[in-house]
Amino acid sequence: MSLASARPDPPPILALKNLDKRFGATHALRSVDLAFEEGEIHAIVGENGAGKSTLIKLLTGVYPRSSGTVYWRGQPVALASPHEAIDLGIDAVHQEVVLCPHLTVAANIFLGDETTSGGLLLHRTMLREAQKLLDDLGFDLPAGAPLSFLTIGQQQLVATARAERRGTKFLIFDEPTAYLTRQETASLFALIRRLKARGVTIVYISHRLEEVFELCDRVSILRDGALVGTRKIGETNEADLIALMINRTIDQIYHKESAPIGRTILETEGLSGQGFHDVSIRVREGEIIGLYGLIGAGRSEFVQSLFGRFPATSGRLCWLGKDVAIRSERRAMDLGIALAPESRRDQGLCLNLGVGFNINLPILDRLSLGPLLSPDLETGAAERQIRDIRIRTASRAALVSSLSGGNQQKVVIGKWLNHGAKLFIFDEPTVGVDVGTKAEIYRLLGTLLHKGVGIIMISSYLPEVYELADTLHVFRRGSVVATHTYKDVSHEAILSEAIGV
Amino acid sequence: MSELLISKRNGGGLSVLLGLTLLGLLFLMWIALAYATRTFWTANNMANLLRQSSFIAILAIGQTFVIITAGIDLSVGAVEGFISMMVAWLLTHNLGFASTIFGAVTISLLIGVAIGVFHGFGVVQLGLPPFIMTLATMYALRGIGLLVTNGSTISIDNTTFTHFSRQTFLGFPWTDGSWFQIPSLVWMVVLVAVPAYVFLNHSRWGRYLFAIGSNKEAARLSGVRVKLITYMAYILSSFLAAFVGVLLATRIGIGNPTQGQGDELQAIASSVIGGASLFGAVGSIHGPLIGALILQSISNGANLLNVNSFWQTIITGALIIVVVYFDSLQRAKRG
Repeated sequence: MSLASARPDPPPILALKNLDKRFGATHALRSVDLAFEEGEIHAIVGENGAGKSTLIKLLTGVYPRSSGTVYWRGQPVALASPHEAIDLGIDAVHQEVVLCPHLTVAANIFLGDETTSGGLLLHRTMLREAQKLLDDLGFDLPAGAPLSFLTIGQQQLVATARAERRGTKFLIFDEPTAYLTRQETASLFALIRRLKARGVTIVYISHRLEEVFELCDRVSILRDGALVGTRKIGETNEADLIALMINRTIDQIYHKESAPIGRTILETEGLSGQGFHDVSIRVREGEIIGLYGLIGAGRSEFVQSLFGRFPATSGRLCWLGKDVAIRSERRAMDLGIALAPESRRDQGLCLNLGVGFNINLPILDRLSLGPLLSPDLETGAAERQIRDIRIRTASRAALVSSLSGGNQQKVVIGKWLNHGAKLFIFDEPTVGVDVGTKAEIYRLLGTLLHKGVGIIMISSYLPEVYELADTLHVFRRGSVVATHTYKDVSHEAILSEAIGV
Repeated sequence: MSELLISKRNGGGLSVLLGLTLLGLLFLMWIALAYATRTFWTANNMANLLRQSSFIAILAIGQTFVIITAGIDLSVGAVEGFISMMVAWLLTHNLGFASTIFGAVTISLLIGVAIGVFHGFGVVQLGLPPFIMTLATMYALRGIGLLVTNGSTISIDNTTFTHFSRQTFLGFPWTDGSWFQIPSLVWMVVLVAVPAYVFLNHSRWGRYLFAIGSNKEAARLSGVRVKLITYMAYILSSFLAAFVGVLLATRIGIGNPTQGQGDELQAIASSVIGGASLFGAVGSIHGPLIGALILQSISNGANLLNVNSFWQTIITGALIIVVVYFDSLQRAKRG
């Protein structure tokens, strides 16, 4: 406790000394020394696998630590179970809300600590108290509604309210904004600041460094399970943090590849449909078209219509110089359009099947001789993609679930390259991936461009489309409100076009 | 080698390992029974055991197709009983072609296909959970069968038909010097299992079944005709159940819609003991075959040992828990 005993100040609310965690042969945390001051907002950053999740799980009593000591207000504590953590006042709000969607907001707030009388639940009392709590916190949420009626952002507010009710003194937010809209993020930040003002210590974990600079007081950097530094926010910058996180200076995460521009692959003229109207874009070989806008601005609906899910109702759609109508997803695939969906796990991949299986899935008809599959053709097709786009996998038979996020994304891409896709649509390609993987995915886009394909990239993350797109269309309320060529205006200008101020 | 086989090998040899473990378990049971009773390890009894397990084996193969898509077919026992009645009814009426053996069998099998189409319709078009859809037809088919027969049993007088299941084809010398004659019903299992194996592991449609069971949305977005393939799985299951219904009629010489009760659960048990996962995307053809043999060996051995038949079901229950538990342990270790 040298950190605290050297000064006359009260001890830090939570201090870790030589905290170590091993899972079998994996050394997940290496003797971490870290102290959290009462009432600060402390960010923890690091790549996927740097040990952030493990640290949270140790602090919330989910995992036991292998060695080391944890001090709570100067006293050593065991932190052997989630219950003990909660009793101390430590709680966490997770990225994917871990509450019960079928129960009401009130029931979730009281879950595990219900108000009872003679063993029977006092529904009305709980409902009243929950509503009062939500009102006090300034959330406009109905306590009686089922949780599943709420957006993910609102559910996160409920999780926070739940922590608040339990008298939490130390609250960990794990990637809370990954699925939030801008407005939701803003209200979450307001809430976090309010909690801080009330003396709650906040640990904030995020991949989005600009959030860290906007919100936090100090930031600690983890790399390969070890703490590589803690900085006051005013004494560091993004480049500095990234260098510490990945131990190599990437002056360019956004590696923009310039490939020769070829013929026009797809062109729309005044295309309208459900949720978007009068959209005209053009995609040529070797270029990236960025679609930026707030969630609900119509960009997703637009690409869904290109992929045949909700066909366009009017306007012209031109594929390789010919007018076409894309009325089904199958038609889109046959033309050569590939969609890398936002949620790889839910929509893109068969996770518990092999890499080769996934890569070959769309083209099995081409790998068959008569009714039977040809093992040679299968092997050839799978190995070629694994080699070409450098999928790091133990073998083509390894399960996709064993791959890193970036490599899973590569499997999705390999699958469509195999299919001969000319146009790739990436829907939020880097949601929830760390800086290293992001760089890897961006490099992959460059490789794709050199293969003569065109790319449409949808992103809610402005820096990404800003840095990579040759042409950037800004969506607002279903139509394109502005079109920019590579970096012709500032971030702020694009943002205000998207918001409409 | 196909992608799947290789994935099993490199992925820790899971399925092959489980297959070998199960085979080991089966042989261990056989050795124990051979020592415990004089009558078990005889050509006669072993042929009988194979004959007895053939129905469940075929049902379990059909069931496995559905289970791989993360579905379930509770109706196979009812289909089996219903078709046994149907084929008997056709054979005992004077309907020209429909009352010839060929005609009656063909029509019965087509009815099986129609039932499968209906299941597919419920699951795919109406979006009903497979459990509910097939539970409903399980009840309804029994009722329709009883309505047609008015609750009675139809005796089949066509001896060519009823002799079929007693016939044997080829054979080999048994360990005690006697001749093991391979029952025709065992050949029927081979007739189903070999194409089923090729279909599941070496055709793209088999591959699609796994894709759907693993992630329906990803399969759809990869151009797999998910609806069509789902239909196919239920049609195969009902078709094979109808085939078993015809075989049952030849075996017992009567048609009775209440036959085959509980067979659906034995088929599911065989499939699951054989390594299929009810969560989908895991399953094989050899698995349910071995599973069916294990179940039948328990019952055959218990009979020879004069064990109370009530114990057989208890042993079966215990076995399911043990096998599936070890299977899940291995999966967890790997995952």
